[in-house]
Amino acid sequence: MDVITNNTLRCTIALAALESVVDPELGLNVVDLGLICQVDFDDAAGKIFVQMMLTARFCPMGESLINAIARVMEATFPFAGITVLQTFDPPWDHSRISPEGKRFLNR
Amino acid sequence: MKHTPHTVVLPFYGYAAIALLAATILLACSTGAMTGHYFQPHVLAITHAMALGWGTMIILGASHQLIPVLIEGRLYSNTLAMLCFVLAAMGIPLLVYGFYVFDLGWPAKAGGILINVAVSLYVVNVVLSVQKSGKESIQAVFVLTAACWLLLTTGVGLLLLYNFTDPFLSRDSLAFLSLHMHLGVIGWFLLLVAGVGSRLVPMFLLSKYSNTSQLWWMYALINGGLLLFVFLFVRFPESGWHKIAILPLAMALLIFGVYCFRVYQSRIRKRVDGQMRLSILSILMAFLPLFIIAVISIGSAVVGNSPVLPLVYGFAIFFGWLTSIILGMTFKTLPFIVWSKVYEHQAGLKKTPQPADLFSHRLFRLMALTYLAGFLLFATGLAWKNIIVLNFSAPLLVTAAFCYNLNVFKLVFHGRHHQ
Repeated sequence: MDVITNNTLRCTIALAALESVVDPELGLNVVDLGLICQVDFDDAAGKIFVQMMLTARFCPMGESLINAIARVMEATFPFAGITVLQTFDPPWDHSRISPEGKRFLNR
Repeated sequence: MKHTPHTVVLPFYGYAAIALLAATILLACSTGAMTGHYFQPHVLAITHAMALGWGTMIILGASHQLIPVLIEGRLYSNTLAMLCFVLAAMGIPLLVYGFYVFDLGWPAKAGGILINVAVSLYVVNVVLSVQKSGKESIQAVFVLTAACWLLLTTGVGLLLLYNFTDPFLSRDSLAFLSLHMHLGVIGWFLLLVAGVGSRLVPMFLLSKYSNTSQLWWMYALINGGLLLFVFLFVRFPESGWHKIAILPLAMALLIFGVYCFRVYQSRIRKRVDGQMRLSILSILMAFLPLFIIAVISIGSAVVGNSPVLPLVYGFAIFFGWLTSIILGMTFKTLPFIVWSKVYEHQAGLKKTPQPADLFSHRLFRLMALTYLAGFLLFATGLAWKNIIVLNFSAPLLVTAAFCYNLNVFKLVFHGRHHQ
């Protein structure tokens, strides 16, 4: 799973925090599921942009996951403005699932 | 994108659960009527309780929840959706009561009118939601077309109701029952289940298989087959030619079966839960009515009409295919709705239960087992006209419906302890 970022250290902190956001149907967190594709930090504007994808285009839990990601990011970086964006280009692919995630899904 | 509020959706689920229980109790009290001709008050009452109170109400509820997801926009009006529920909820018992006592006077007619107004409101809501969103999705096309067929079905049903007491059609209402039923079963239930299922099954199995052209073929075959059926039924009523519409419909079912099989094969999530197993089983069960109608068609040409097989056919549709998919899908969709209501705002900040933790899996297993045993035995009893088997198997179906109700209301009331 590749996450594009302009700040590796803070991205690692963000991803560690986002492991608490779990897809309710699968029981797997959004990081291991490979839903987070980009985390960018704009220090000048005091903003953080998180770009995420969904496993299916019309996922009913999409809105819930976006809200949960925003909440966790706000709690982790309380002084930054958080924007969570959804992308379907490229679409999510199972190759984005981490080895831990694959083990979990194959249980 | 915004979810439809749970206050709009949950009443449909609760109502449908009670309707299933009522229908199975009526079935258990009417086993004597099940060994004769299908045109009997109790059979009509049970069929309408199942088709409208159970199948239609739960699908209306689920589609109000799913439409915003399919069109990536809001439902046009929550008020229209609630009004649709209230009117249908009042109309269905009136209609079923009218059939049960075979008084097709004001209660049945008022019920029929209320149901038609409710369905009209649903169609308006779906059309305006799709129009407002401007987003295209093949599943939304399935839902929109199915809603139109539902309106035609209930409209024809109301005309037949009036034709019973004040004949104005060229033939008596009994002659049109097959048309009325197939408009609903194929145009509403099959089209909607295929359309929505083609989205939900890959999503729940986490499968990457997708084939839009297969879905368009399915759409064309179902609608084409039904239009052919209607044309031949109306134009050549005595010829029996309308039965050739089985062919495109069988093709559509086959394509849906292949689609679901490919989805299953290419799933990333290997473990398949009980709810999905029951839903997948329903795809196989869809072929049973098709097999029976083929036997009826061939049999009527060779040895004349059988009064028994149409009953088995109807039972296989409403208590078999339709019920099995709803029993399975209820416990995939309802837990999400309840989870969103109770836990969504806590997600990520603290550990929350998963939607699958919100209902009893033991009750679900008991429901699935009693349902499958009850269905198979009752269908056998119908085919053999064996009242002992019918009397033994009907309580199994009541037990399944009771377990279903316990689990549904456990979910519906879950939020009360946590809010």
